[in-house]
Amino acid sequence: MNDINWGLIGPLLALQVLLAVIGLISLTKAEQVRGPRWMWVLFLIFGNLLGSIAYFTLGRRDL
Amino acid sequence: MRRLWTLYLRELLEAVRSYRLVWVPVVFIILGIMQPLVAYYMPDILAASSNAPAALLENYELPGAATVMAQALGQYGTIGMLVLALAGMNSLAGERLSGTFELLMAKPLSPVSIVAAKWAAHLTVLLLAVGLGTAGAAYYTALLMGQLPWSAVAAASSLYALWLLCAVSLTLFFSAWLRGPAAAGLALLLAAGMSLAHSLLPSQTGWLPAALPGLSAAVLADGTAEAGPVICALLLILACIAGASLLTGRHKLPD
Repeated sequence: MNDINWGLIGPLLALQVLLAVIGLISLTKAEQVRGPRWMWVLFLIFGNLLGSIAYFTLGRRDL
Repeated sequence: MRRLWTLYLRELLEAVRSYRLVWVPVVFIILGIMQPLVAYYMPDILAASSNAPAALLENYELPGAATVMAQALGQYGTIGMLVLALAGMNSLAGERLSGTFELLMAKPLSPVSIVAAKWAAHLTVLLLAVGLGTAGAAYYTALLMGQLPWSAVAAASSLYALWLLCAVSLTLFFSAWLRGPAAAGLALLLAAGMSLAHSLLPSQTGWLPAALPGLSAAVLADGTAEAGPVICALLLILACIAGASLLTGRHKLPD
C-alpha cells in the first residue's frame, strides 16, 4: 500500500472534498435544516459520499 | 413556446439554487469512477482487510472492460436512481409547500407547460449526471482495464439514462398527487417492482422498461439491442407527464 497512485485516486478524493464543500456552503446558506446543524457538519465532513447524499436529500428543508 | 422556455429557465434556476445541478452530477461522477478503481485495487483492499485467504488474492482476475463498465452503470441503477428520485421528489409538491404554486396558477399558464418545464429541468440534471458520470467511468475503465468502443459506451449509457428517466418521470407524476417523500418512495417501489418482475419472468416481461439495464449491459458485451423496452419506456414517460399535468390542472397538489 506504499505506492499509492495519486494520479488515479486524486480525482476521486478531490470530488469527495468538492461535494462536502458544496454541502457546507449550502448548509451555511440554508434558512432551515432538519435536525441540528452540527450533526450535518459531521455528516458532510466524515460521512463521505453517503453522508453528503443524506444531507442534500434529507437535510435541506427548503428544497 | 417562449413561455415554456421561461418556465424551463425558472426550473433550472431552482436546480442551481438548491445545488441539485451540481451535487447530483458530482455524485454520479464519483459513483462512475469508483467502480473501475475498486475493481482494480480489489487485491489491495482485500489484503488490507487482513483476513482474506491467500488463494483468493492469487486467483483474483481483473474483470474485463465491458463488465466493469456495466457494473458502473449498475451503480446508477441503485444509488443513482435513489438520488434522482429523492432530489426530484418535491418538484410539484414543494411548490404548494412554499406557497409559490398559487402564484404560478394565477398566471395564464397551461398545466402541461408547468409540468413539461419541470420534466425538462429534471432531464437536464439527469443527462448532465449520466453524461459526465459515464465519461469518467469510461475514462478510468480505459486506463485500467482496456478500451471500449465509444459508440457502445454512448449507446449503453443512453439506454440506462432512459431507465433512470422512467423513474424520474414516475417521481414527477406521483409528486403531483402525494407529498414528496411518499412520491419518491412509490416511484422507487414501482421501479423495483418492475425490475423484480423482469428478473423473475425475463421471457414474458422483455418489453418492460426494467429490461433496459440488461439491454445496456448486452450492448457493452456484444453490441446487440432491441426496440421493445425503449418504446415502452417512452410511452410510460409520456403517460407520466400527461398524468401529472392532469392532476396539476385540477389543483389537486398535495399540501
